[in-house]
Formats: sequence, structure tokens, C-alpha cells
Amino acid sequence: MNKTRLADQPYLIRPCTIVYILLITLTILSWLIGKSGISGLHVAMLVLLFALLKGLLIGDYFMGLRSVRGLWRWPIIVWLFVPGSLITWAFFITA
Amino acid sequence: MKYQSQAVAKPYFIAAIGLFIGQIVFGVILGLQYVVGDFLFPEIPFNVARMVHTNLLIVWLLFGFMGAAYYLVPEESETELHSPGLAILMFWIFLVAGALTVLGYLMVPYATLAEMTGNELLPTMGREFLEQPTITKLGIVVVALAFLFNIGMTILKGRKTVVSLVLLIGLVGLAVFFLFSFYNPDNLVKDKYYWWWVVHLWVEGVWELILGSILAFVLIKTTGVDREVIEKWLYVIIAMTLITGIIGTGHHYYWIGAPEYWQWWGSIFSAMEPIPFFMMTVFAFNMVNRRRRNHPNQAAVLWALGTAVMAFLGAGVWGFMHTLSPINYYTHGTQITAAHGHMAFYGAYVMIVITMISYAMPMLRGRDAANSGKSQVIEMWSFWLMTVSMVFITLFLTAAGVLQTYIQRYTDDPQPFMVVQEKIEIFYWMREVAGVVFLIGLVVYATSFFIGGKEPEEA
Amino acid sequence: MNASKEYPPGDLAMWIFILAELLVFALFFAAYAFSRANNVELFNTFQQTLDTDSALINTLALITSSYFVMRAVADIRQNRQVECIRWLLAALSMGAVFLIVKSGEYVHHYSAGINLRTNTFYMFYLSLTFFHFMHVLLGMVILSAITVKTWLGDYSATEHTGVETGASYWHMVDIVWLILFPLVYIMK
Repeated sequence: MNKTRLADQPYLIRPCTIVYILLITLTILSWLIGKSGISGLHVAMLVLLFALLKGLLIGDYFMGLRSVRGLWRWPIIVWLFVPGSLITWAFFITA
Repeated sequence: MKYQSQAVAKPYFIAAIGLFIGQIVFGVILGLQYVVGDFLFPEIPFNVARMVHTNLLIVWLLFGFMGAAYYLVPEESETELHSPGLAILMFWIFLVAGALTVLGYLMVPYATLAEMTGNELLPTMGREFLEQPTITKLGIVVVALAFLFNIGMTILKGRKTVVSLVLLIGLVGLAVFFLFSFYNPDNLVKDKYYWWWVVHLWVEGVWELILGSILAFVLIKTTGVDREVIEKWLYVIIAMTLITGIIGTGHHYYWIGAPEYWQWWGSIFSAMEPIPFFMMTVFAFNMVNRRRRNHPNQAAVLWALGTAVMAFLGAGVWGFMHTLSPINYYTHGTQITAAHGHMAFYGAYVMIVITMISYAMPMLRGRDAANSGKSQVIEMWSFWLMTVSMVFITLFLTAAGVLQTYIQRYTDDPQPFMVVQEKIEIFYWMREVAGVVFLIGLVVYATSFFIGGKEPEEA
Repeated sequence: MNASKEYPPGDLAMWIFILAELLVFALFFAAYAFSRANNVELFNTFQQTLDTDSALINTLALITSSYFVMRAVADIRQNRQVECIRWLLAALSMGAVFLIVKSGEYVHHYSAGINLRTNTFYMFYLSLTFFHFMHVLLGMVILSAITVKTWLGDYSATEHTGVETGASYWHMVDIVWLILFPLVYIMK
């Protein structure tokens, strides 16, 4: 019990708040890209990358998986990586 | 045997085995009729033999489920059965009704049977697996309601466990979905749509709850593993069953005239239907590995583990092989279907009923926990004979089905049905040989009840 | 109290359930992507008819609600029941925003005569978002149950597995939407 959890440590701004701001930023960026109407494989991939990053942030910080050792660290990461790759592939083959 | 009233399970189990033997005799007849077309014609035409084979299967499995419930519910609830008398009465009603129905199939033309039983008052006859006269179906409803009442009252007055509650939900679901057999729309699309509400939601739905709870019960008793561990597994397994199986019904809606989105929904959800079966396999082996004692009834443990494996292979793997709509487009209604159907039914439901009988029968007959070593050895031989022969039946039918699909549908120059049937005949002969071995295995199983009775119990 | 950090927070059975749900959505996403590959024109055309602004509001609402849930868990770990309840209620209201905005979108589509059979794109869009909608609903039921239990005093610094369990489910609902939103609304 000598490792205190993230949420218990005294910070000026909590780590999870910083994560929150990051998430909002990435979201608005994606939305702006969508609004601008730019299409193209690279743009789509960038938006997907933002989504996967957001997923990783939620998994690591909100779900608390960052401090988990062993097998259970990985399912969310795998879930982001595998469908992410499939989606990438599906977009590639039509570009 | 902890409670006197558990004894009512015994006649149910005996009837189950008896009807099982009848089912397989007709199965062997059918297998021969595939290759010697006029075998027993006109006395027992193919379609009649088929009705008898499939209907007997369902009826004996129902006897098995009821026997299993009558045995395990008093023990789980820690109280005597609400009404043993009612259970025995229902036994005889169900047995006589079932026997009369099968005799009806065999002795009179189907149309005559329909007339004799007043089908036109409430038409429910004429659909696959639901060929029973309306009055038989009504009888089944009455028996089911009485059974549920009896079991329900027992659980109510006693201890409520996860095992008995999951079993009860499964059995109630079985009864509720059977009511759809009374709904017979004129529109052919709707007819087929709702037919699956009986069949699919039974075998890929509520019956899996029954399977899971009986398996959990036997594992608790034979391994001594903590009840909480087993119950948690059971919850996860049935959650997966329902999540995948309910919308998974859509894998029967691809080609019947239902909207196209079913091809997507059905494929995606039914693709995951093997998951609960995979979990059951991991669960069963895990529990046996973690066991706290070596139960004397090793035959029952063998059947339990075998059930999990064969159910996963037959229902899970073979089911997955033809569940995706682009594949099913070609394989629909071929021998692939028959291959899957046989191994799935055997692996999941035949084997779980036999597991329960294997576990309970020794005690119903006065033993403390298990039969003699001699008897168990014979029983285990029957396990291997039946299971291996079923695997071969499935493999032969799969080979036949793959060829059939390719030559009749996929190739650039598709051949007519009968031309293809001639080409795959060799596999039907091999299937029949395997089927005879299966029957031998079943006979060996039956004899295990009569051997080693005087020997001491296995320790 | 699991001092060994081998397992994620909350009940393990819930995590198995979470993985199962994630699998369903993953299959759906892959099916969408490959279906799109065969119908690029169709998908791009009808994607334009979607209301990206509503989707933005929904995304922000879900991320915010996840953040609030995280704060609720942090508070119950420090035995602060009252604050925990406040954060949970805030999370629930964000969830309600999602449901209302999404329902608004559905009303708009329905009155335009769009349904599951209109075309493949709409079939996927409606199925995916509806399926997700149902999970948001279930998540809110779970969060409500946790809120009530916290209010009844069932949770504390030493015993709050239920809160962590419900929180994990809610984060799953959020993470799914974070993929769904760009995939269906934005990526061309």
C-alpha cells in the first residue's frame, strides 16, 4: 500500500483534469477538420489517430489501467489497435 | 440422495433413455433410407421416420431436463419437492401423450392424423419439429405449467441459489417460447420468422441457461470448488449467451424475405455465439483442475468435461462455419447444416442430460455417490463410442456438405440436386456405419445400468 | 482491498462483460469500414447529411461525464460520499444531454423518412448509434443505482468496488463513442 493512486496525490491541477482538457482539444480539432470538408486518406488517418489517442487516454487514466500490471493492461490497447488497423486497411484499399 | 422426493427424477431418466434408444433406431433407419431409398417403404416412409427421429429427440431431452430439475432443485433449495404426486402424474401424462403422438405418426397418414385430432380448429401442424397435433401441443403446455409450478413452489419455499434460479429462468423461457408454436401466420415470411422464436430461442437461447446451470450443479458436487466461483462464471456465461443469441436469431433471417439489415445484424451477433461455449469449456476444465477432492463418480466428470468440449465444437465451431451470411448464401440447407445440427445437439443437450443421469442415477438407485468401478468403466466406454462416432458422423456429413455446396452452387457449372447426391453417396454410407457404431455405444450405455450392481461402490 | 495491481478496478466479471461489449462494437466498426470500402460514393454522400454539430455536443458531453465519474471515484476513495454523489449526478446530467441530443437527431431522420432500409450507410449509422444509445441508457441505469447506494451509505473509502465497477462500464460507453464519432461522422 505504499503506492498511492493517481487521484490521491496532491496536485495543483489533477492529472485527470489535464487528460480531460486534452480529450476536449482533440475532439474539437477533429470536428473542425470535419467541418472544413477536407477529405483524403491522410486527413482521415489523422482523425482516426486522434480517436485512438483519446481511447488510450481514457483507458490509461480514466479506467485506471495505467497502474495495472500484467495481462489486464492490454485488452483496451488491443481493442484500439486491432479494429484501428482494420479500419485503416479498409480506408486504404479505397483511396 | 438428500431428499426423498428427488426419487421422482428416476422414472423421468428411465423414460429419457428409452426414448433416446427409439430415436437412434429411427436415426439408423433414416441413414439407410438415404442410400437405399425404398427401405421400409411404404410402411415407414422417410418423412415419417424423420418426424419420429426429431420428435423423439425433443421429447426425451424434455424428460431429461425435467428429471434433472426434479433432482437438483430440492437439493439446491434444501427442501422437499412441493408435490411429488403431481410430478409422477405429469410423467405418465407426458409419456402417454408422447407415445400416442409417435404411434399416430407411424400408423396413420399425416393428413388423417390432422383430421382425427381436430387440427382445423386451431391449425398448428405441418411445420418441421412442430409436427405434433394441436392437442399434443396443448398437453405439453399443461405438463410444462404443472412442472414449472412444482419447481417454482419448491424454490420459493427454500433456499434460492444462482444455479436453481438460472435453471428456472431457462425452463420458464422454454415454456414461454413454446407458445409461439401456436402462432401460425398465413404469410410465409412471418411463419418462418416466428418459427425460429421457438427453435432458435430454445437451443441458442434459454436451453443454454438450462445447460449452464446443470453443468454448474454437477461441477459443484463433483469438484467441491467454492460455490461463489462457479456461480460467477455461470452469470458471465449466460450473459454472453443472451447478448449473442437473441439478436443472433437474425442468422436465420437472411433469405426468408426479411429486411436486408438482418444479414449484417445476424452475422455480427451470431459470430459471437461460440463465446459462451468457449467459456463453458474453460470453466469446466478450470473447475476440475482446481478441485478439492477426487469424486468417486469419475464417469460423471468425464461426461461433464465432454459436454463442454463437444458443445463448443458442435454448436460453437461448426455453427460459426456457416453463420456468416456470405458463406451461408452457399451452404444454406446443405449437409453442412445436418453436420452442425447433429454434433451441436449431441454435444450440448444429449450430453448434459447424460451427465446429469450419470451423476444422479447411482444415488437414485441407492448408492452413496457412484457406481462400481466395473459399471463406470462400461459407461466410459459408451462415452467414447458415442462421442467418437458422432465426430465421424459430423466429419462425413461435413465432407458431403462441402462437396454439395461447391458442385451444386459455387462452381461455374452448377449441377442438379440429384446428380450431386449421387456423387456424395459414399459419405452417406460412411455416415451410416458411424451411426451404427453410435447405436452400439448407446446400447453399451444402457447395459452399464445392469452391470456391476453387486460390486462395491468406487471409492 | 486489492493491493496487487494485477486486476483493473471494479468487479472482474464486469470487465469480462466490458470486453464482450467491446468485441461487438469492434465487429460492427470493422463491418462498417469494409462495407464502406465497397460503397465509397454512397457513404461519402450520405455522411454529409449527418449533423456533426450535434455529434460534437454529444462527444463533449460523454467525455465530460466520464471525467465527472472519475472525480466521483476519486472522492469515494477518500470517503467523501456527498461529493461523490454530486459528481455522479453531474455525470448523469451529461448522459441525459447525450440522450436528448441523439433523440433529436433521430426525430429529424425519422421525419425525413429515413429508416434501416433506406440504404446501407443509414442502416449502419442507425444500427451503430442505436446500439450505442441503448448502452448509454444501461450505463445511466448503473450510475443511478450507484448514486442511490452511495446516498444510502453503502460505499466508503474501504469498500467501493461497486462505484469502480459502474465507472468502468461508463468509461467503456464513452470509449466506444470516441471511435464511433470520427468513424461515422467525419472520416471520408
